[in-house]
Amino acid sequence: MQALDFLPTFPLALGDLTWAGAILLVGLACGELFRRVLALPRITGYLLAGTLLGPGALGVLDAGMRDSARVILDIALGLVLFELGSRLDIGWLRRNPWLLVTSVAESALAFLAIFFTLRALDVAPLLASMAAAIGIGTAPSVLLSVLHEQRADGPLSEHAVNLTALNSVFSVVLVTMLLANLHMEYAAGLYVLLLHPAYLTAGALALGVVASATTLVLARWLGKREVLQFILLVSMIFLVVGAATALRVSVLLSLLAFGIVARNRDTARHLMPVEFGSIAQFFQVGLFVLTGAYLELSDLALAGLPALAFIAARVGGKLLGVIMFAPLSGLPVKKAGLLALLLSPMAAVAVVLVHSTSQHYPAFGVELAGIVLSGVLVMTLVGPALAQLALALGGEARTA
Amino acid sequence: MSTLEFKRSEPFTLGVELELQIVNRRDFDLSGSAPDLLRLLEKQAHGGEIKPEITRSMLEISTGVHATHGTLIVELRGLRDTVVRQADRLNLGIAGGGAHPFQHWSDRRIYDTPRFRHLSELYGYLAKQFTVFGQHIHVGCESGDKAVALVHAMARYMPHFIVLSAASPFLQGVDTGFDSARLNSVNAFPLSGCMPPVRSWAEFDTYFDDMRALKVVESMKDFYWDIRPKPEFGTIEIRVCDTPLSVERAAALAAFAQALATALVENGPPPLDPDQYRVYGYNRFLACRFGIDAEFIDVKLREKTSLREDLLRTLDLALRYASDLSGADAMRMLQQDVEALRNGSLWLREEYKRTNSLGDVVRAQSEVWSGRREA
Repeated sequence: MQALDFLPTFPLALGDLTWAGAILLVGLACGELFRRVLALPRITGYLLAGTLLGPGALGVLDAGMRDSARVILDIALGLVLFELGSRLDIGWLRRNPWLLVTSVAESALAFLAIFFTLRALDVAPLLASMAAAIGIGTAPSVLLSVLHEQRADGPLSEHAVNLTALNSVFSVVLVTMLLANLHMEYAAGLYVLLLHPAYLTAGALALGVVASATTLVLARWLGKREVLQFILLVSMIFLVVGAATALRVSVLLSLLAFGIVARNRDTARHLMPVEFGSIAQFFQVGLFVLTGAYLELSDLALAGLPALAFIAARVGGKLLGVIMFAPLSGLPVKKAGLLALLLSPMAAVAVVLVHSTSQHYPAFGVELAGIVLSGVLVMTLVGPALAQLALALGGEARTA
Repeated sequence: MSTLEFKRSEPFTLGVELELQIVNRRDFDLSGSAPDLLRLLEKQAHGGEIKPEITRSMLEISTGVHATHGTLIVELRGLRDTVVRQADRLNLGIAGGGAHPFQHWSDRRIYDTPRFRHLSELYGYLAKQFTVFGQHIHVGCESGDKAVALVHAMARYMPHFIVLSAASPFLQGVDTGFDSARLNSVNAFPLSGCMPPVRSWAEFDTYFDDMRALKVVESMKDFYWDIRPKPEFGTIEIRVCDTPLSVERAAALAAFAQALATALVENGPPPLDPDQYRVYGYNRFLACRFGIDAEFIDVKLREKTSLREDLLRTLDLALRYASDLSGADAMRMLQQDVEALRNGSLWLREEYKRTNSLGDVVRAQSEVWSGRREA
């Protein structure tokens, strides 16, 4: 027997890498099937693959693996949030203040609608406000991915991107602030109560500013060479994710701030427009499969009314906000209605916000997950399709 | 049977049409936002007309009828400001120039009207390739016969208009080496070229009837000639120009066309020389390819001369027929540019050299167009 020692022993010791590869392949195939058979966005397929393979269903992708692959999720979200931030055009907000009004209105109305609806269902105030704060945000990953897939072009798409950048900032900042109230509820000292959210937000902003300043200096030095600038941006995104984690400030906010400041401070335009191409698409598969793995099909049955109320209130609030104000910022009423659909998806950012809350306060996190994550699950299934439909009806899709 | 009636108009009155680029402000590629922009513009009071063009990344503005450069430029500036203000609301840029430097023609979408759909079905990919941007200059004529004579007399000067307006050196992401690459897109159309050597309106009318009986054309609109009579306006229409980078340049070209037409008519237009059309295509090519520095085949002298010198002489002649002081000033600016061999294409190439990014070139173009920056 000794002569055959070079052969592997059975069962094979398949490492995480093998599993990761296999899971990504399943995701890829699922996405492609959704595209070809159902003409739905690929990401819906990735997400469902993640949910089905995840700990809540088949368990191939177990909780341990999912959490250790968190770095992929962080990088993928990093690319998405940076791109989103870099597409927020502050000059446009200045030229067209109604856009800012629309943004504040759709965010505020979504918050209020969710809060009061959940309160009417006897959800505790802090829980209701935390869910409402998370509900303000539109999923940047879903929006950008559908826009890319449809090769969208036009004012509806531009409105959606800018409003999403803003509502993501509002959402993350508000969630951070509410963490302070959680401290109070869980009887942390006044010191922590004030300092923690302040540190999370201010630290993230400072990190974003430093990162963008560094990036602009390096971009200028490298010159306008696509490949070099691409490597620069991806490296900086790694750095920001890593630094934000190490400094224990908000990763999401750091990345958004990085993108926003880099684009809007770059008056001499040293930085080329962001085009992450196929590597971003690879990370997207990872991002959505993992996001899917955080969702549990059983939530759908358990959550019931509060989750559905959460979704309805959220979409209703956003719709009211954009119908009232987007026409003043130049969109026809029909496109304003479609804009509400484009703003409806929820995905990874919401999941991350729920999970980081749970890390600090596990008991509260479970309750929050019951409402928000099951809502996210529903929006995961229908959100990308709604966004795709909105682009088609608005005449802004350029798919052949 | 006479079917085309030439509507008499006041001689040497002016009108201008400009096709404009609609770009996004993120990477400055073309944006198919014309329907949204036109919807906002419908609600604005403005002079002239603002219309869609064949693809959704184009917009056409046209002025009313003007006697002089002075009032023309006022209307053009007003139209420009109206369009730019509404484009600002949607975060769109508006730019001059004959072609977008790096758009992919296959990304273009046809503007949804029956006529554009028909053209798209007829011409196939040429319709999308036709996303190029020209300036049309109308000069009033009192009769069809005078218009036919003026078209022939002006034909010699099409290279002059080409190099003065040229602003399309880049196409599909590369420097073509041409000063006006736009006109190469026009050449692909079967009904491009120039008017046949008819000698009177009656002869033209017969030709048109014939072409219609043969089902080649349905209306005058189907002739994509460089210069043609426009009977429903009572004008001749010069169509070789790239849309310049600024309205000031567009108005200067119109002033030049007006003064040159006046000079040619008042000196008695030269009799039609059939040889002229034998060199026409080659002279036109040289001008597109080499710009102001091109050679020019003077068919009368039967020799190669310098286009620049011919252009300077022509501008000298035209200056004496300027309809107003501002028109004369505008032509003097053209003269200075010709002396320095400067035109839109040169500026675009310099801008590219400076920024090393075609996106930044378009951004600069849109700033120049909106009057926020000098070209």
